[in-house]
Amino acid sequence: MSEQSPAVARYGHGSRIPGWDDSVDLGKDPAPVPDPATTPVPPQLREQIEAAMAKYPNFRSAAIPALHAAQDLHGWCSPEAIEQVACVMRLTPGYLTAVATFYDMFETEPVGRHRVYVCTNISCSLRGGPELLAAVQQAAGEDPDFNVRGFECLGACDIAPMASVNGEFVGPLELADAEQLVADLREGREVLPEKQLSRRACADPGAKAQAHE
Amino acid sequence: MSDKLLFDRIDEPGLDTIEVYMRRGGYESLKRALRMTPEEVLQNLLDSGLRGRGGAGFAMGKKVSFLPRGAMDKYLVCNADESEPGTFKDRELMQKSPHMLVEGMIIAAYAAGANRSFIYIRGEYELQAMKLEAAIHEAREAGFLGEDILGSGHSQTLVLHRGAGAYICGEETGLLDSLEGKRGNPRLKPPFPANQGLYQGPTLINNVETLATVPHIIKMGGTEYAKLGVDNSAGTKLISISGNVQRPGNYEIELGMKSRDIVYGLAGGPEPGREIKFWFPGGSSSPVLTPEDLELPYDFDSMAKAGSMLGSGAIIVVDDSNSVVDVALTLAKFYRHESCGKCTPCREGTNWTVKMLQRIHEGDATPMDLDIIASVQDQIMGNCLCVLGDAMAMPLSSMVAKFRGEFEQYIEEKRAAAGFGEMPEPSPIAIAGAA
Amino acid sequence: MPRPERRFVTFSIDGREVSAPEGVMLVDGAKYGDVEIPVFCYEPKLGAPVGACRMCLVEVEGIPKLQTACSTPVKDGMVVHTQTDRVREAQNSVIEFLLVNHPLDCPVCDKGGECPLQDITFGWGRGISRMVEPKRHFKKPLELSPLIAIDRERCILCYRCVRFSQEVSEDYQLVLNERGASTYVGTFDGHPYVAPFSGNIIELCPVGALTSRAYRFRARPWDIEGAGSVCTHCPAQCNVEFTVRDERVLRVLARDNEGVDDGWLCDKGRFAYQAIHSEERITEPLVRDSESGELVPATWEYALDVAAAALQAGGSKTAALAGGTTTNEEGFLLQRVVREALKSPHVDSRAGLPQVDLGLQQALAAPGLQATIPDLEFAHTVLVLGTDPIDDVASLDLRIRKGVRRNGVKLAVATSRPSALDPNAKLWLRYAPGGEHAFVAALEAAVTGSGDLSALCDAADADPKALEALAALLKDGGEDVVILWSQRLGAAPLPALLNVAAALRLEGRDGAGLIEVPVGGNGRGLREAGVQSNGGPGLSAPKAPGKPAREIAAALASGDLSTLWLLHADPVRDYADRRLWERAAANADALVAHATLLNDTLREHATVVFPAESYAEKEGTIVNLDGRVQRLRVAIGRPGAVRAEWQVIADLSKRLGLDLGVLTGPMATRQLVEAVPFYAGLTLKEIGGRGVRWQEREAASAAPAAPAGPVESGEPLPAPRPNGALRLGTYRPIWAAPEVEVSPALKFLAAKQQAELSPVDAERLGVDNGAKVSVTAGDATVLAKVFVRGNVPAGTVFLAEATAEQSATELLGEAPQLVSVEPYGQRPPVPLEGLARGARPSDDEVNS
Repeated sequence: MSEQSPAVARYGHGSRIPGWDDSVDLGKDPAPVPDPATTPVPPQLREQIEAAMAKYPNFRSAAIPALHAAQDLHGWCSPEAIEQVACVMRLTPGYLTAVATFYDMFETEPVGRHRVYVCTNISCSLRGGPELLAAVQQAAGEDPDFNVRGFECLGACDIAPMASVNGEFVGPLELADAEQLVADLREGREVLPEKQLSRRACADPGAKAQAHE
Repeated sequence: MSDKLLFDRIDEPGLDTIEVYMRRGGYESLKRALRMTPEEVLQNLLDSGLRGRGGAGFAMGKKVSFLPRGAMDKYLVCNADESEPGTFKDRELMQKSPHMLVEGMIIAAYAAGANRSFIYIRGEYELQAMKLEAAIHEAREAGFLGEDILGSGHSQTLVLHRGAGAYICGEETGLLDSLEGKRGNPRLKPPFPANQGLYQGPTLINNVETLATVPHIIKMGGTEYAKLGVDNSAGTKLISISGNVQRPGNYEIELGMKSRDIVYGLAGGPEPGREIKFWFPGGSSSPVLTPEDLELPYDFDSMAKAGSMLGSGAIIVVDDSNSVVDVALTLAKFYRHESCGKCTPCREGTNWTVKMLQRIHEGDATPMDLDIIASVQDQIMGNCLCVLGDAMAMPLSSMVAKFRGEFEQYIEEKRAAAGFGEMPEPSPIAIAGAA
Repeated sequence: MPRPERRFVTFSIDGREVSAPEGVMLVDGAKYGDVEIPVFCYEPKLGAPVGACRMCLVEVEGIPKLQTACSTPVKDGMVVHTQTDRVREAQNSVIEFLLVNHPLDCPVCDKGGECPLQDITFGWGRGISRMVEPKRHFKKPLELSPLIAIDRERCILCYRCVRFSQEVSEDYQLVLNERGASTYVGTFDGHPYVAPFSGNIIELCPVGALTSRAYRFRARPWDIEGAGSVCTHCPAQCNVEFTVRDERVLRVLARDNEGVDDGWLCDKGRFAYQAIHSEERITEPLVRDSESGELVPATWEYALDVAAAALQAGGSKTAALAGGTTTNEEGFLLQRVVREALKSPHVDSRAGLPQVDLGLQQALAAPGLQATIPDLEFAHTVLVLGTDPIDDVASLDLRIRKGVRRNGVKLAVATSRPSALDPNAKLWLRYAPGGEHAFVAALEAAVTGSGDLSALCDAADADPKALEALAALLKDGGEDVVILWSQRLGAAPLPALLNVAAALRLEGRDGAGLIEVPVGGNGRGLREAGVQSNGGPGLSAPKAPGKPAREIAAALASGDLSTLWLLHADPVRDYADRRLWERAAANADALVAHATLLNDTLREHATVVFPAESYAEKEGTIVNLDGRVQRLRVAIGRPGAVRAEWQVIADLSKRLGLDLGVLTGPMATRQLVEAVPFYAGLTLKEIGGRGVRWQEREAASAAPAAPAGPVESGEPLPAPRPNGALRLGTYRPIWAAPEVEVSPALKFLAAKQQAELSPVDAERLGVDNGAKVSVTAGDATVLAKVFVRGNVPAGTVFLAEATAEQSATELLGEAPQLVSVEPYGQRPPVPLEGLARGARPSDDEVNS
């Protein structure tokens, strides 16, 4: 038998999935809906959440917008952030944890403030997505300011391989762009301006030909 | 008159503002629609033969007509959770011409009698969300949204709702749960959204492109629109081409165009010296087709007849530099990651499939495992709560069936490389199970 | 709200013609044709089906895809197949998928032998596994709470437990985290899943993923027997099945009774069985030794002689109190002995609450005015008045939530303390503790449109607009109104309550009426059996009226009464005015008690303590809060020298010169039935396993006729004005009970004293959440931890009653009162002027 690839841990004990191996802390109290009297919420966050709740026929619909707002403020969906949302929305923190862990964009562990999602799905992988991810990860190194993640299809296969950098789509990227991308972020510059999707014209020549009447 | 409808001068600067959009005749269709009765608008939609552009290809007018009539809270939801790998057409449309979608939604809501509408846009589309938010604001300021729009008696609100990263929210009932602030688990059907959807009210759910087409149908008239395209596949369609082609991107075509003309003509085909190995005609969930199938016309029925589907109109081309096993593994991993976990066959089936493919990848498999993989796909298909399980099982089945030789060769090579040498005797259990 | 009517439809399943009620799901419909369709996630008690496990796929002709039988309602003419190759293939597939990551550690699994996954795998599985990949392994078992262990390897993600938490108990603490194959059952940030009904998830789990930490590895299914009985820990009297091994109760399971508990148990009902086998259980008679002054074990004969002599000496100066698990029969025999042999009129079972005029009692208990528990689920409007079901009658909390959630019942909550049901209520109202009478009178005024609403609201410190809204809801929200009211309201508000019921025309209306929440597990039955100072068996007038409990205490303390006889009652702990009761017990010449556990009062003052049966050892009847006569059945043998209580009372009686004529338990039942006209003809057989509501029997017409016409609702006294001090409100937490304290599993929940304060008052007093404070009334002080709650009305502090220590009953006098709250340990508590116990505010204060 040859060496085992680390991809499938054989007969190993322990989980690769966060949470599975965790017991509860019996020293803690149960977590019902937080009492406003004892849960301080930053006024600005409260305002954002209440505004979101007002937009929907059922206030619960504001769960995702509220978590977005809390994550923007706290950097991640920390227990504190979740308690604050729960307090304003009158939901249990458990409910919001369930929601937050379902969606890829919510971070349930502390992360760096620079969000770099590198697409590794099919169209990007055909053009070097996984290699690009490795390159960006290497360029960012151990820098705690960075949150570099492989991501499923981001809907920009026309610029494959690509990445979403703090929400800005850039591509097609070459491995050499990884260093530049990281440097731009570190220096606070616009990231790879010439490769931003927002500046890209439609591929359809027909659409272009008609651009002026 | 351009042969483009949705992409007509799409790159015109400022088209995302109401000023330019209206200068180009925007919101005229809305005005015209509001002068008609909702039934007349619906008739136009029925006449147009427009089929849903999101993936399922259900006739849009019919879907509208399923909503119960009468005064009650009804909802229109635009599915802008464009997440099917290979699909990126709605992104370009929303970013560059957001008002087209807004106008289409107001007309569709008028036809359906819906007073509350939502756009559920995937969380990753941040730029597009900003553009839409601005467009909605402008439309409201201009009196196209709100109470008693243009004196028609029709009132409508439109809320942009950002998701947070989950493929399953593109499934219409998963989307509804997510929009209600829950985990995006698909719901049991029936009841169908037309009867009990968002907040348990009748709900019409349509894709971005479908709704953006509505103003054009009203402008041309339903029967005129139906003349575009081919039988049973009326109109123009935005297609996204990606993968191993020279000019990936979005193109607007008339349905029925020859597939080869799209892949080679528009997208330039693979890099010189490369051959196409297979292609997905409708996103990663569609069973793969071979180069021979490029002779088929690109429309709903032809793709279905070939054993695949038009889906979201996303063509992914894979050339001969890639191994089918690697593509299968990437695909399976994606579906495992995106399975919501609610129903057993999808949750466990995707997970097990990935494990088997990984074993192949590591050289720890035999060709018999291919039978188990195929059998597992059969066990997933048709047994799941929603279509996500099938979305993995269909293309994977097609890959194993059409490229079995390559799979077997890959297994042999990897086994040899991993030092397994001779193939073991077949296990009676595996045989019994695969039977 | 009329309940849905059911008609039958005929469909075909596996070639058989089957008739089943229209609208039921195929899974249930198939049972009418003796066809079993396997399920994991389907559990109708949890609400709408989710179709997640896919185990129940069947073929329905005319539908191309296989359908989930759990979500497909049966229709006329439907043709269903459950045995075709296609269906079998699908079933095999689902089993194979479920076992992909299931560890199959059945030999060491607590669920083994009673596991649906085992059974269904055996019945519908392929019998082989093609999965050669390693299974996932995780640490196990892990703690989910002190009561529940979780084994995530075994979990098949059927959603039952989280649906229970989210859609039944609505505590929303137990959730699914992550997604897809990574999904797991968990909580927020490692907080334990501790909630009053958490134990139900153990019973719901179809695999061994959720197990009871109290039951784990105590027995295998073939070691145990099930014994059906009734839980006596609260007046809901949920139906239970004891799991018995070697004469020990090892577990309590729900025994679904739609008319009582709807299939759920609270954690007290589920785990407090441990008190039965507590080390502290009294298992032999104890008699106070005259030399050492200690209680020492004695023979039955000696103990009976001593007790009889003491009671004989007390004679007409004897008072008897019954409570707890006392059955109707025991209560009935007790009052006979006291009234007939001792010639004393002083018997009571009302937990020290004020005596209610017998005519009023009869009127409130009129059969036509009684609603049933299921009515809570189908009424147009439910008013919860003066009680928080979660503490007073736990399983009704779930029933009320269900009505609101499933049937759109409009719920109104009117209490002084914020209620757990507030978030579900269409309307919630607060009144000041002490303002109960004024509040109900105000409600009467609002409903009838007569009387001075604003003055009454002022007296109750309630919002007149809210009262008007409540009146409108009750009057115009549909005719079926159920009012769930607590005995703890006291006597004064009851005429007004009766007038409200009359104004809403609840009498005689099916699906509407009143439900009283009595204090004590068999509070209603004991009153019907005649254990009250002003009422004999069947709510008849006694020959001579006796003193109610509070007066008994005063008389014992002053020497007017000499002897106290306690049947499962602990007045020092449970009744108001603890210090008066302490004096009463200390001053009594003799104290005879029947108890399962010793307490300080008995230890110090009891003359004789008879070892009492636990509820699992008893036979007899009890009555739940809507009048359902239920049967306690012997599940296990009595430990040690414990004897049947009816027998002990009969033996005592014989020594006192009265032969009760009772030789067996059923003979006691027969005597009771003969003495209570509205039970006439009732037999144990008729009561059976499900109980019988006596109001639904013919004999109900023999219920005493209530005086006709409107009653005078009286002039309510205003609730005290805080004027710088705080009003004291009290409640009895579900966890304030000795059986909780002696059950090892539940001990961690035992109620500790906490002072619930509004943020305003906390700030004014300069105390933080969690700080220690002293709460003082007159010269009595209770120490408590501050619990700041946003929804506590300013001006009131809430304390728990009946806690093991620092009980609020220390502070409770005869009248509502004011207390002062001080940070503890900083300065000595200084009693405020005019805040002596029971002091009424002056007229100036009231009118200011």
